[in-house]
Amino acid sequence: MKDLTVSSSEQITSDLLPQPFGRRGMIWTGTLILICIIGAFAYYRQLRYGLVVTHMRDYVSWGIYISNFVFFVAISLVGSLITAIFRLANVKWSTPLTRIAEIIAVSAIVFASLIIIVDMGRPERFLNLFLHGRVQSPIVWDVIVISTYFCISLLLLYFPLLPDLKILLRFKEKTGNALNKLYRFQGSFWTGTKEQFRISDKSINILCIVIIPVAFCIHTVTSWLFATTYRPGWDSTNFGAYFISGAFLVGAGAVVVAMYVFRRAYKLEKYITELHFEKMGRIVVLLALVYVYFNVNEYLVPAFKMKKPEEAHLVELFAGEYAPMFWFAILVGMVLPIFILLFKKGRKPLPVFIAGIMVVVGAWFKRYLIVTPTLLHPFLPMQNVPDSYRHYFPSWEEWAIAIGSLAGALLVITFFARIYPIIPIHETITEQHEKAEIE
Amino acid sequence: MKKLRLNKYLFLAFTFLLLQQLQVAAQSDSTPAKKIIKLHYFNVNNSMQYLLLESTLKRGKVFSPQQRKAYALYLDSSTAGNLIAQLLTDENGKAKAFVPIALKAAWDATPQHTFILKEGDDEVISDYSISKAKISLDTANTDGARSIVVSVMKMDKGQWQPAKDVEMKIGVERQGSILSAGDAATYTTDSSGTVSAEYKKDKLPGDGSGNIILVAKAEDNDVFGNLVIEKKVAWGVVTKVNTTFFDQRTLWSTRFRTPYWLLLMAYSIVIGVWGAIIYLVVQLVKIKKLSKEPNALP
Repeated sequence: MKDLTVSSSEQITSDLLPQPFGRRGMIWTGTLILICIIGAFAYYRQLRYGLVVTHMRDYVSWGIYISNFVFFVAISLVGSLITAIFRLANVKWSTPLTRIAEIIAVSAIVFASLIIIVDMGRPERFLNLFLHGRVQSPIVWDVIVISTYFCISLLLLYFPLLPDLKILLRFKEKTGNALNKLYRFQGSFWTGTKEQFRISDKSINILCIVIIPVAFCIHTVTSWLFATTYRPGWDSTNFGAYFISGAFLVGAGAVVVAMYVFRRAYKLEKYITELHFEKMGRIVVLLALVYVYFNVNEYLVPAFKMKKPEEAHLVELFAGEYAPMFWFAILVGMVLPIFILLFKKGRKPLPVFIAGIMVVVGAWFKRYLIVTPTLLHPFLPMQNVPDSYRHYFPSWEEWAIAIGSLAGALLVITFFARIYPIIPIHETITEQHEKAEIE
Repeated sequence: MKKLRLNKYLFLAFTFLLLQQLQVAAQSDSTPAKKIIKLHYFNVNNSMQYLLLESTLKRGKVFSPQQRKAYALYLDSSTAGNLIAQLLTDENGKAKAFVPIALKAAWDATPQHTFILKEGDDEVISDYSISKAKISLDTANTDGARSIVVSVMKMDKGQWQPAKDVEMKIGVERQGSILSAGDAATYTTDSSGTVSAEYKKDKLPGDGSGNIILVAKAEDNDVFGNLVIEKKVAWGVVTKVNTTFFDQRTLWSTRFRTPYWLLLMAYSIVIGVWGAIIYLVVQLVKIKKLSKEPNALP
């Protein structure tokens, strides 16, 4: 932080300007594009031959796609945590992280919407959801709330970007003609007058207030897709809070991973400091503890009663086919990160990054466990069905599409970081000036 | 040593059971199949006469329908002129035939007829005879006691004569069976060809007007075949179907019957949030307009 206090505005601008891809950046982007192409080919096969190319059948009709959807929705919640809650709580240290959080939120919500369309056998009928949708259906609520959250997240990304666009326009020789045209189109009207700042600040505050209930809604409604369906493992009044706590955790985990990667890739050590990892590490511990608490509620209470229909589901999770995945999600996704991050040495950038990876990977498997084992344990016994209906393991097409969507989300973040400053330039300069004045 | 002996006994027992099973299987395969072919004559409400053929194969204790099997059915003699129908059994081994209009003269000529069934050139049934009969059903009410009166008449010497000793079920048509009108399972006609069954099922649910269907049915009678007569009477309890159930505004109704409270909640949230979004877009436009003002510099 001391280095930062002596940095000039020009130095900050120069440090934070978007940089062209290096060799590693090209390999990274190329790999992501390749994975997306494989995913697109798999989706072409699904469109051509129908959902039969997947291994979803009568019982497991929500497989890896819906697990992925829930994962994306969860991760998108981070935009409201870092940007809105911290801003309203006047947490100053979070400034370099806000844009990272917002772009993660936007890319995640875009791919959450896309993956739900992928799950449809007849995607051309998607419009019917709007034309003939019932307000009583939680699926319609989810569609409304996702599109609303997407618009708010986009605005929350755009408003704080306006002053930076003006700065970017000054560096045409560095950014190139094409990008300059894009910046001009998006932000040439920003002159930085007091009135413009006043309106912008007021708008950002409104967005921060609005996004919190909408973010809670998006994840609560997603949880209701399950909780309003009468099945063992989903029949819970705890689901909304359980999903939101999990979403905050995975979102925070994703941010620490992105912080570490951007810090290393763009040499942002002066801006994303060890202090940020220290603070985010503490937040992840808190969120992981809250999520562990909800998990204990979610599994201990039904396991204590062990009602007959719940028994097969719970035994399968605790000691059956899904036990390795279940304990992996609990231990690696929650317990181990807590142990790593509880210690001061564990809150250094690399351990925080590793803990973040564990949280995100554990969270993905946790979503899979929420969706699939429940569907394999309906209240009525499965009788006279082919053996393939009793088990579920995704087909290669499902894996390719799911991994392709994850790669697509990362690609959006990668391109965003290539085009726009991943740390807000104007806000960093303003904070620097404020600090200098105080000192 | 003890263990070895136990294993030996287990092996012998297993081999014995296996051989026995193989023997049973071989026996059941070698058992000759027996064809069971039956004809049934039906007279429903004195208006429709038809014949039902049932063709089954019996192997051991297993009965299986003979599907797609062709037969020819004749009236009285197996000549081309007396052909009732060429029959082909369905997947249940059954086929149905109506007496054609072309055989009306032959049908009316005698009170008794014989049906002949041929499979290829072989006569598989040649002695299935029925006497023409008609059945009627009436109701009576004596001092508030309801009864069902059924009469069976047979054609004899060109005239309808009472048919006595015809056993039949008399009751109310229910789902898949006949609920007996009184305490007896069956009733038999007397010398006047008539039988009366007291109606004791007063509280049976009927349709919207309280209608129930009274039925009298003589099943596979040796002389007359199957005789069935039905009559609709308003003896049941009026059943009111609650049609308003589906008109309610509930969470499970159609989109046009959304509960008002849900509409209010959903629309207020959507309008509130989207109102804020629209307001913010307007603010964006405002920021854009500010840049065009003459003193737009910071």
